[in-house]
Amino acid sequence: MLALKSLSKHFGGVRAVDGLDMEVGKGEIFGLIGPNGSGKSTTVNLICGVFPVTAGEIRFEDRDITRAAPHVCLAAGIARTFQNIRLFGHLSVWQNLWVAQNGMADRRTSGFLHRWFAGSGRARADVERLLEFAGLGGKAEELAANLSFGEQRRLELARALAAKPTMLLLDEPAAGMNMEEVAQLRERLMALRDDGKTILLVEHVMELVMGVTDRIAVLNFGQKIAEGTPEEIQNDPLVREAYLGAPQSAGDGHA
Amino acid sequence: MDDHLVGVLSNIGMISFIALSAYLLLIVGEISFGQQAFFAISAYASGIATAMWGWDFWPGLAWGAAVAAAAAVLVGIPTLRIRGLYFSIATLAFAEMVRLVFEVFKYQVEIDGEMVGPDGSDGFRDIRYIFENDITAVEYMLMIYGLLAAVLCAFFLLERSRLGSIFRMIGQDPVLAQMQGIDVTAYKILALGMAGLVAGIGGGLYAHLTTFVEPKIFNVMLGVHSLAYGLIGGLGTAFGPLIGVAIDIGFLESIRAISGYRMIAFGGLVAVLLIFRPRGLLDEAAVNWIRLRLRRRHA
Repeated sequence: MLALKSLSKHFGGVRAVDGLDMEVGKGEIFGLIGPNGSGKSTTVNLICGVFPVTAGEIRFEDRDITRAAPHVCLAAGIARTFQNIRLFGHLSVWQNLWVAQNGMADRRTSGFLHRWFAGSGRARADVERLLEFAGLGGKAEELAANLSFGEQRRLELARALAAKPTMLLLDEPAAGMNMEEVAQLRERLMALRDDGKTILLVEHVMELVMGVTDRIAVLNFGQKIAEGTPEEIQNDPLVREAYLGAPQSAGDGHA
Repeated sequence: MDDHLVGVLSNIGMISFIALSAYLLLIVGEISFGQQAFFAISAYASGIATAMWGWDFWPGLAWGAAVAAAAAVLVGIPTLRIRGLYFSIATLAFAEMVRLVFEVFKYQVEIDGEMVGPDGSDGFRDIRYIFENDITAVEYMLMIYGLLAAVLCAFFLLERSRLGSIFRMIGQDPVLAQMQGIDVTAYKILALGMAGLVAGIGGGLYAHLTTFVEPKIFNVMLGVHSLAYGLIGGLGTAFGPLIGVAIDIGFLESIRAISGYRMIAFGGLVAVLLIFRPRGLLDEAAVNWIRLRLRRRHA
């Protein structure tokens, strides 16, 4: 579904991503892990067109999106969340979702007034459903800035979903969450997979990555050093050395 | 109603248009020091239409506002590609340019043996439509407030619409807005055109109230004030800039005992608010809080 072919991004002399080959299959939850600065977020930013690619190719559903702008990638069906929460804090929760849903050149062609003022009935129902899914029922009229940290993270997820993507790029969605919230996030990701979404999950929280992904790629210094199922990755000596740290601490998973 | 009060209220109403115009651009995240240019353009254009071409008032006003909006769009196409401070400076430069053009702009025709029309730095006299048609000061004030009410209604509809949400999104995080498929530059040009139209309505009203316009009144202080009104009153609702105008014109300028201290008080007020309430008295959070309260009471 998503294929990266010898993808590279250099910032001056720094090779943030260096010849990365990766393929994410349809309906998969694919984990992308690695130490800080290993190029995970850069990869996400390359895929959705925020940074221009230095070399290599990105294909999505057999389309070349290597040089596509962010909104073109979104229209193609790739939505993302941000490592640092990025919401429209001055707008209500409802407005954040409503505009995200319609952002794309309005494929729905209900009447002008409906489209611009209240949103069609179907759009409204979609937003309600997203609020329910993200556990934000009853918060629709709050300003996004007034939500708690966990709620803002869930709103980001809901907003990504509002654009009806086929693929989600989640950049550290569990950062700063407690165990209970991580468990809820895991449930949500499972539900999304069952719904047919493909997910690329960049994450440091190993409980989540190991528990939810089908396959994992490990980056170090911009290069892929391992790929496989969670079990294979956990037992890979290279990964242990580069990422999970010394052998005696590998068991607790956090490193 | 006494004349002074009518004059003050008319002034508040007129200045409210240019304040709303600057407010609209603040919503999309741009600081314009040049809204007085569109106010001026419409003052001249509508004055020319009624005093020299013999048009009626309403078509003249509409024409003035339309010219101002068109000028705003034309200015917006090159300037909105630059952002932030650079945009602010470009608007300031444009406004000064417009003022200097009016300093040398001469276009006069003979009407009843008298020369009528803009006469460079001597200004444009005898925009006498209101007098010639026996419209009283109170009637004219009501016309101003009728138009203001209509424009306010348009603003409230805007805030409820998707367009309003898009404007606020662009104001808060243009990069994120762009990622969501919003053509930021196009929407900003639209906002600038709408702001030009609103400033233009005010300018046309102004020319016909004072019957006389001269270039130097459209100086940068008018633009700075109209910006400050939104920043004082708040950027959460279109009532915000109106509160700013009411405080400045209605209180500081119009009460004789304190009018000498106007700029001191006004400057201090802006400074204090920028520290304690950077988005004004009625900012987004305050407006949402009020909205939720009202809804709860009704429910």
